[in-house]
Amino acid sequence: MMPNRLWPTAWPISLKVPLLVACLMVAVSALVSERVLTRLAQMQQDNLQELTATYLDGLSSSLLPHVLREDVWEVFDILDRSRGRDVGLQPVRTVVANGDGRVLAASDPRWLPVKSALPASFRQQYLEGHGLRIAEDASRAYTRRIMVHQGREIGTIFAEIDIAPLLAERSEVLATLLITNMILTLGLATVGYFAVRRMLGPVRVLARHLDRGRKGEVEPIAEPLIRQAGGEFARLFRRYNAMAAAVNERRALADRLAEEEKLASLGRLTSGMAHEINNPLGGMLNAVDAMRRHGHQASVRERSMRLLEQGLKGIRDVVRAALMTYRNQSELRPISKADLDDLRLLIKPELRRKNLQLVWENNVGDEINVPASAVRQAALNLLLNACAAAPEGSAISVQITLDRGLFKLAVADCGPGLPDQFRSYLESANASSAPIQDNAGLGLWMIRRLADEIGGQIMVECPDTGGTVIRLCVPLQHEGLRDVA
Amino acid sequence: MQLVQRRTYQEITALLLSGQLSGAWICGYPYVRYREHLQLLAVPIWLGKPLYRSYVIVDKQRAGESFDDLRGDIHAYSDPDSNSGFLVTTALLAEMGLRPPDFFSSFFYAYGHRNVVRAVSSGLAQSGSVDGYVYEVLREVEPALTEPTRVLRKSEWLGFPPIAAPAEPRDPEATELLTQALLRMDKDESGREILKMLRLDKFEREAPEMFDRIAHKFEQVQRLG
Repeated sequence: MMPNRLWPTAWPISLKVPLLVACLMVAVSALVSERVLTRLAQMQQDNLQELTATYLDGLSSSLLPHVLREDVWEVFDILDRSRGRDVGLQPVRTVVANGDGRVLAASDPRWLPVKSALPASFRQQYLEGHGLRIAEDASRAYTRRIMVHQGREIGTIFAEIDIAPLLAERSEVLATLLITNMILTLGLATVGYFAVRRMLGPVRVLARHLDRGRKGEVEPIAEPLIRQAGGEFARLFRRYNAMAAAVNERRALADRLAEEEKLASLGRLTSGMAHEINNPLGGMLNAVDAMRRHGHQASVRERSMRLLEQGLKGIRDVVRAALMTYRNQSELRPISKADLDDLRLLIKPELRRKNLQLVWENNVGDEINVPASAVRQAALNLLLNACAAAPEGSAISVQITLDRGLFKLAVADCGPGLPDQFRSYLESANASSAPIQDNAGLGLWMIRRLADEIGGQIMVECPDTGGTVIRLCVPLQHEGLRDVA
Repeated sequence: MQLVQRRTYQEITALLLSGQLSGAWICGYPYVRYREHLQLLAVPIWLGKPLYRSYVIVDKQRAGESFDDLRGDIHAYSDPDSNSGFLVTTALLAEMGLRPPDFFSSFFYAYGHRNVVRAVSSGLAQSGSVDGYVYEVLREVEPALTEPTRVLRKSEWLGFPPIAAPAEPRDPEATELLTQALLRMDKDESGREILKMLRLDKFEREAPEMFDRIAHKFEQVQRLG
């Protein structure tokens, strides 16, 4: 199954690594911010606790004699004056209650009048003892101090403190942290992106060369690029170049072999053709001789003329078939039934030589939109291969059909079966990796190359009953061929 | 000459009665209480008369015009030995047969007429008894302090707090010098400046009977016990 292109595993490494760096930076900055803010909150709370303790200590010592005497005015006066004093914190409300829990005086007397009982909701805001309770949502801190005189609890100071400035300081720190971290993260991710991109430059060069090699000539990497890459990549490039040289050498060898193979098959064909021409020649020379000697006899003349005509027609057919096949490899006219049937003439000498029978089944009509020359050559090579593979006195069969937009040509023989390496070579989608052939008669490389030229596909079957069936399937072309015909 | 100041009237009265002071500016109330042990040196003249009034003040926003509306209030008195800041209001209650706790839900002493004004303007007390002379001067010099308050009741005119000395001073010469300095204050430039600062016209000799009304109020309160 093809991996989804959107899936992170399919992303280029030059994107993945900077992203990873950015993600790590975000994680680190989140952790650092969290630590800084927690520490800041702790420090602020400690600081607030110290300030409130100092504030309450000062208040408590000045209030004590007045609370003892329950002197409402003096208690209020002290609370009122302490409000204006800058003690580093902002008390919003301060309430002094006597030992019975009744208000002696509050900094805001309209809210809690003198001698009124402390409401339960008010008491709930304060922790037992001297603890500091922080209500962040309300931007308030609550603390209290119990005043003791000679071991007796004489009153309590309740202080409500505005911590909005502390919270504002905290959010300012948070904002600074966020902005700084964001800029740092973006900066590092950008640097990471370009650094990784630069580091991966040689990999891209290698990938580009490998891609090109797949399409044709394997091109070595230029020396300046190797020097530029340096280090491990330079060594890698040199190894690649050595490999490219080996591949190119092998390809040249394969081309040479193919050329030789082509010449060999041409030679074989030529000798067959000579034989085909030679056969009627004997009869024709006899006819000429008979004409010379008994030319005055009309019947002899007539017979001789017929023999000469038959012989010449036979020679014409053979020559035409050969011309058709080798006229021009890039000929693009559509193939006809007769073009295919002609092939029988060309392999006739081979059939005769090995005493083979040919079962020919051609079910296609005229004008099939596949390139005539390439298909004929491929078909001829397949037939010659089948003749070569078939044992003496056996049969080869050919079946030509049209099926769902495909031109199909199947050649079957009763030979020992196509070795696996040739089979996989024929069936592979890539013809460039030609196997070095130890059997020059097979001409597989040509078949494969012709099939590639016309966009055909080759399938090889080795049935259990023995022999080999090779099928050539060529998609019909819908336009163009008729015009050049 | 040495100026002695104390927090409460009681402290000054004690110093005066024990002969530690040559003279003191005291309230009419301690004067009438200890009249037989004291002599009048001079009485300030304010707005042409040796008289002043006691005010009952309340929050400016508060509705009601009658003293009876103050029932259940937290009330600020100036000093337990003050005529205008305690005795006048307490005598008014005594006329109704009431003691302060019967009428007010709670009351306290602010020990100073200015503090009474602060207590009422801050809401610590809902009403307060204050010296009318001090209130009027405050209205002029610290309008922000008196602004949130208004006068609900003004008493009748009563004897202005006098300058008194022990009946038998330890140093009669010093007492006499003090008396002369007070009585001649309006004849002297620096004296006039002092008077201007105090918003007073001058000091004059007055008869002790001028304080009989205050004595009567004291008796009313005393009778109720």
